[in-house]
Parts: sequence; structure tokens; C-alpha cells
Amino acid sequence: MSVRAEQLQRAAWTRASAPQTIGLVGIALGFLALWLALPPFGVRTAPAPVAVGILAAAAGIWAISRGKVRVGGGAIVIGLVGIAGALLAMRASSSNLEGVFVWSALLAATLRFATPLTFAAIGGMFSERSGVVNIGLEGMMLMGAFFGAYGADQTGSWVGGIFIGMLSGALLALVHAIFTISLRADQIVTGTAINFLALGVTGYLYNQHYGNNGTPNNLPAIPDVNIKFLSHIPPHGLGNFLYNSIGQLNLMVWLSLLLLPVSYVVMFKTPVGLRIRSVGEHPRAADTLGISVYRTRYGAVILSGALAALGGVFLSIGFLNSFTENLTAGRGFIALAALIFGGWRPFGAFAAALLFGFSSALALRLPDLSASSSAAWPVLFQTLPYVLTLIAVAGVIGRSIPPAAIGRPYIKQ
Amino acid sequence: MVDEAPVLELRGITKRFPGVVANDHVDFDLRRGEVHALLGENGAGKSTLVNVLYGLYHPDEGSILVKGEPIRLHSPKDAIKHGIGMVHQHFMLIPVMTVAENIVLATEPTQGGVLLDYRAANKRVAELSSSFNFAIDPGARVESISVGQQQRVEILKALYRHADILILDEPTAVLTPQEARELFAILKTLTSQGMSVIFITHKLNEVLELADRITVLRRGNRIDTVDRQGATEQGLARMMVGRDVLLRVDKGAPSVAEPLLSIDDLHVIDERGLEAVRGVSFEVRSGEIVGLAGVDGNGQSELIDAISGLQRVSSGTVKLGGRDVTGVNPSSILDLGLGHIPEDRQLRGLVLEFSLAENLALHDFDKPPDSRWGWLFPRQLVRRARDLLKRYDVRGGGPQTRAAALSGGNQQKVVLAREIGRGPSVLIAAQPTRGLDVGAIEFVHRQLVEARDNGKAVLLVSLELDEILSLSDRVLVVYEGRIVAEHGPDVGEEQLGIEMTGGGREVAA
Repeated sequence: MSVRAEQLQRAAWTRASAPQTIGLVGIALGFLALWLALPPFGVRTAPAPVAVGILAAAAGIWAISRGKVRVGGGAIVIGLVGIAGALLAMRASSSNLEGVFVWSALLAATLRFATPLTFAAIGGMFSERSGVVNIGLEGMMLMGAFFGAYGADQTGSWVGGIFIGMLSGALLALVHAIFTISLRADQIVTGTAINFLALGVTGYLYNQHYGNNGTPNNLPAIPDVNIKFLSHIPPHGLGNFLYNSIGQLNLMVWLSLLLLPVSYVVMFKTPVGLRIRSVGEHPRAADTLGISVYRTRYGAVILSGALAALGGVFLSIGFLNSFTENLTAGRGFIALAALIFGGWRPFGAFAAALLFGFSSALALRLPDLSASSSAAWPVLFQTLPYVLTLIAVAGVIGRSIPPAAIGRPYIKQ
Repeated sequence: MVDEAPVLELRGITKRFPGVVANDHVDFDLRRGEVHALLGENGAGKSTLVNVLYGLYHPDEGSILVKGEPIRLHSPKDAIKHGIGMVHQHFMLIPVMTVAENIVLATEPTQGGVLLDYRAANKRVAELSSSFNFAIDPGARVESISVGQQQRVEILKALYRHADILILDEPTAVLTPQEARELFAILKTLTSQGMSVIFITHKLNEVLELADRITVLRRGNRIDTVDRQGATEQGLARMMVGRDVLLRVDKGAPSVAEPLLSIDDLHVIDERGLEAVRGVSFEVRSGEIVGLAGVDGNGQSELIDAISGLQRVSSGTVKLGGRDVTGVNPSSILDLGLGHIPEDRQLRGLVLEFSLAENLALHDFDKPPDSRWGWLFPRQLVRRARDLLKRYDVRGGGPQTRAAALSGGNQQKVVLAREIGRGPSVLIAAQPTRGLDVGAIEFVHRQLVEARDNGKAVLLVSLELDEILSLSDRVLVVYEGRIVAEHGPDVGEEQLGIEMTGGGREVAA
């Protein structure tokens, strides 16, 4: 009977109705209310943002009255937060605002921060879609970060760094696979152990090889892709914006963007993807059709380790050009969150990664706002991106449905 | 039609599990175009035998021959290769995927060897399904289609892989009588086209309706193989159980006394917000069994839940022994003398991970003598459990055994032991014999009649008309949340069938 109810709910969801649309428009208006106070609009008086924000809230209330509680609630909260943010932004000086909200630079930074998350989240997707929880993404990323740097150092080439980094992540994933698939250990416990193992291994090797001096300054780095012609696109403002935002991104950023459609096609448009998903949903059904559950899961977990490691490689030799202990600092967990928020889908996970990336980019720049005004409110302002992310992702999108057999070891009869 | 070598032959199959011999030198053969029923009680070794045949288990001894050739089956893949398809009792379907995806999985058509060719998959599935008049939308998600249709998807899975031997493991257990009749028609079409079918069941009437030959298994041994011509329910039942079985319930005239359960103008809203029970009134008196007949989903579940306090009553009253218990919490209602044998024993009747002793104490654990001053006495639980298990003839485990380890019939005996053992004045039995074999059914029926003879008021809710007719002293027919008819025990099945589906309405008092 509950299955039936779920179906009804799902049917209602797909038939996107007017209240749903109005609610989404309300959410958009809420963001607009905040944006009005920021460059390039830079509205300095209250009425306009407040009016737009109230409109957003009104749309939300209407949506709730028509039964779309989640979207409507999102619109109301975002509308109010938008008004508050706009009013706060007006208290900062125009020049400070313009210094912080350089949209082209923010976009570039957002993509840069999102890239390692994207790699790891896509990796996690393969593992989790096959039914194996991969909380060890963090550790696999860290392995990739260290061995990427180490490999680049030893081979003298960033290509070598990429391959050695991916290999290290794949090997660590193999350990996870052996424990969780063959030995049927608890996937959360094993994943946690994997994270500590990676922390220990990379910490030890780092101290052993680079000791006090740190990684060498001349570490071969993954090159940026310089797209000169973008700056010549008329009009001048647009050309500049394009060049400054996407004209000088790292090769790995573009690779991560390429990975999105590729992983989508593999997961949802090929036999391999169908089999991975079948193993994650109903392994016994897959088994009765002759699909090897163990082999499929091994493959998926190892691939997830290699991809997560690629995110780590980008961090060490594509972004920071060095390695320090615990370089990933929890990004693997954020990637896992992005994966879950994104409903175990590549573009969903990427959207969540972008939100997190934007939050990080903004959080880095926001302290500049406080240069001339009192120190109290910018601290609060700093949480705003996270609040927005939470509301947008958790509040509006809601609960995502995991693969049915996730976390459960398969025992062949 | 039956003039060549058998398409399939099993010789001396033996399969041992720790502590049991599930199959002991079983011989079996299947001829082209026949339906060969495999009949036996739960635990007789039917499922083990077909799992061996499908490559899921590896036999310890014996050989398998397909069209005269000995073969070895290492996995289901090998079985599929030899044209063997299986419809499992618990469907092997992925609910979130489409019908077509489920069917082509593992043998997908591709575009250029890389991309899954969804158009070709949908087209082939549509063709296959329409060639058997299945009317299944290849693009529909499996979770959104009915159980009967899901079973057809399973059959299509086998046909798509060019199976000419089809195994069906208890296919009717999940079907309504109507769906079961449709399945039989499908199977007759398939066999007329040369398909050979192995049909596992423990229902005697199905065997006699459908099968060409019948092989009976008991405790891992093959008892006999007989033709349908000349087979009788009584004879088959004796072979299955190993003794004479009472298929008809033996009961005397009821000695009816005062009403113990009175329902007055009851309305209940279900979880979808629809009115599932619409003004139901009836009484069940001491010393009688009242049968509630109806097609599944006509408000029976909501009615039972409302009586036992599990679901909110929107209006009307429920009286237990003259006392108004409307809106009282379930635990108090049980204390006031209600026994409830729920529809789904595994989900609601038992806590599968608990021991039998704990399961038997689920209601009474918080009162003396089970506990005192907040302190539980496990030894008391075990003592009572030992006594009850013996009285209700529960086999396959002691007080410390996990409930999940018992067979379905024995699980139901545990539920009966708890619910009747508490000495209630009113007993609700919802589908008390669903999925049970003849031996267990006989036991359950005897217990219900005994409860009635002891002066309890028994409300029997069942989808099986046979059961309703053989047990009830009065029959109520429920349709769309209303009682549409009331009959004595001698009403015809035909008449009930018409009323259950909305024909010939007349509202009883």
C-alpha cells in the first residue's frame, strides 16, 4: 500500500503543476532580491530588493496554499534571506562590494573549487550505484593528492603524476573492495578505516620524502588551458568576462566538465551502466541473469577510487602545486554530500558541487568586505553561502532515493 | 504430443544442507508441451530441486539431462543457455527500472556495440508482449504495474532469452483468483506452442486444473509421479502429508450466545485520504465464525485495523464485549479481550529477528508474571514458550530459535499460540492460511473452530472463498467499503463471486 502511495506521489511530481512553477519562480525572485544589491546592479536603497523579496515570499505562500510545501517554503526562506542579505550588503561600501563581487573571478574560482568535488562525487556515484557505500572517497582523494605530487616529482612530468595518482587511488579502492565485497565487512567501518589508512600512509611518506622542506617548488604542474580568442569576442565587456572566467582554467577543470556527459552516458545509456545499477538495486535479480555481482562491484569501486584520486591530483599539482599533510581536509566528505544531494546523478552532483564551490569561493573573498566597516556582521555574512546552499539543496530538492541495495553485502547462494 | 525423449530429465538428484537432506535421489522428467506440477508441503524440497535445475545450487549427486544430453550447470547463465527460464516466487525485478530494461538486462541490444539501444529494446519487448496478448507497456516502471503484470514481465524475461522450459515457483501465491485464472490461460497458450512448464505449488485445486502430470515430494523424497486423470485431491493430499488429511472442516452446529463484537456505522479514512470503510455495521456473537468475503482492497484491511485500534476511526463505534473501545489504543484493546491474527505474519505478526519466546511474549511482557517492577524474567518467557510451542505443535525450533528460521506454517502456529493462548473473547483472523500448505491449513482451521466452540466470537477475513465457505457460520460480503450482503453458511460460491465484484447489490441490515 505504501508503494502505491509513493507512486501517486511520484506521478504528482512529474506532472509539474502551476504551483510548482510559481514556487520555483519565487525562489528565483529571492535570489534576485539579494543580487539587486550586488554589482553590477548595486542598488543602494532598500525598496527594490525588499519588494522583490516580498514578492518571492508571496509566491511561496501561494505555492504552499496549493500543496507545494517544500518549494513554497524554500521560496519564503530564500526571499527573506535575500532581503536580509541585500540590506546587509548595502551597509558595505560600493567599492568593497565591487572588489568582492567580481563575477568573472568568482565564476572561475567556483569552477576551480568544484572540480575536485566533481571528480570524487562522480567516482562515488559508480561505487554507490553498484551498491557499495564509499565513505573512503576522502582517503582515496588524499592518496591521489600525495601520489600525484610524488609521481610528478619522480617522473618529472605531470602526466606521470596523474597516472601514479590514479593508480594509488585505485589500489586503495581495491582494499575497500576486498573488505566490503569479498569479506562482507561493514562498508562504513571499512571506509572510515580507509580514510585513516590514507592519512597515515600519505603523512608518513610525505615526512619521509619531503621532511621539513615540503614538496619542491619546481613540481611539474598540470597546465592551464589559455583560450586567448575569448577576450576578442565582442562586445568588449563580454569578451573580458569570458576570458577572465573560463579563459584560463586548468586542464583538469575542463576534464571534469568532460567527465560529466561521459559518466552520464556510461551510467544511463550503456549496458555497462544498466548492469552497475541493477547490481546496486537488486543484486540477486542481476545474478539470476548471469551478471557477476562481485566482478561488477569490484570494477565500480576501483573506478571510483581512480576518479576520486584524480580530484586529489588536481588539488596537489593542478591547483596548489604542493602537497601538505591532510591536504584534502574533508573535501571527500563534501563530495559524498554533493553526490547524495545530487540524487546519485552526474549533473545533480555537479550542481551541488558548484553550490559548494561557490560557497568556498565566496567565503574566501568575503572577509575583504569587512575592511572598512565593523567586524561583527561580515562573520555572519560568511555563513550565508552555506545557508543558501543548505536551503536550496536540502530544503527544495528534498530527500533523494538511494540505490535499494546500497550498503548491503551480497551473499551468493 | 508426447512421443519424443523428455526435454529435461533429472536423475538421482541429491542436495544436502547442514543437518538436512533437501533432495534425496530425486528423479524427475519433463515432456515437451506439458505442464508438470511439482507438489509438496513447504520444506518438501521443491524449491531446492528447481534451484538446482536453474544453476543456483550445485547438486551433491545426480545428473541433469536436457534433450537427452547430460549438462552441467555452474550458474543461471548456463541454465539460460540451455533454454531454461525461471519465474521466482519473489520476483527478480528491479522496481525503479522500466519493463524493457528489466527484460533486456544482461543481453542488451546495442548501437555500435557501446550504447544501449533503448528503441530496439522497447520495440522487441512490445512485439514479444503483444504476441502473447500481454498488453504491457515496455516503458512503464516495474513498480507502477500490478503484481500480475510483474509476473508477466518475468515470463517475458524467459521468453526473450528463448527459453523452452519454464519453471514457475509458487506463481499463484501472490495473485488474486482472477489473476491466477489469467496466468493459467497464458500457460496453456505457451504449452500449446511447445513450451514445457514446471509448476511448483502446494495448492491441490490448481494442480488438478492445470497440470498434465504431477510429481509429489515429501521431506526431500519423490513419492510418486501420477497423471492428472485419476488423481484426486484426497489422494494427492495423502501423498503430500503422508497421512489422511481433512480437506473439509469438521464442525458441529454453532451454539450462539450474546454479541461480543459490535460494529456500528463505522467509517475509516485510509492513508491516501480516501474513505475505505463507508458505514459498516455488524455483530459477531459468542460461539460463531463470521466470514468476511471480498476481493482484496475493498476495505478489509482498514476495517481490521480500525477494530484493533491501529487506524483512526473517523466516525462510528466499535464495541468489544459491550464496552466502547473506539479510539482506544491498540495495547488496551488487546487487554480488553481481542486476539488479532494479522494479515502478514512476517511483517506484523512476528518480529522475525526475535526468539520465539520473545515473540510469544510481545503483548504480555510488561505485566506479571513476565515482568515485575520493570524487571523482565527471561526464564519465565522461556517456560511459557516451551509450553505453548508444544501445545500448538510448532516444529523446527525451540524457545530460543529466531522466528525467521521457521517455515511459514510454523510461524503462523506461533502467532496462533500467542493470540489464542492469551484467551481472548474476540478473535480476528485475517487471511490466516495464506501461503500455508494443506497440513498447516488443516491445523489452523481446527484451531479456529475450537476457538469458536469455546465460546469466542471469531471474525474471519479471507480472500479464499473455499476457506470462507467451509469455516463460516455466517458470511458477510464486503464491496467498496460496504457490507453488501449477508448469507448463511450454505450460500453458493457463484453468488458470492457476483456480489464481491459489485453485482446484485442489496444492503443487509
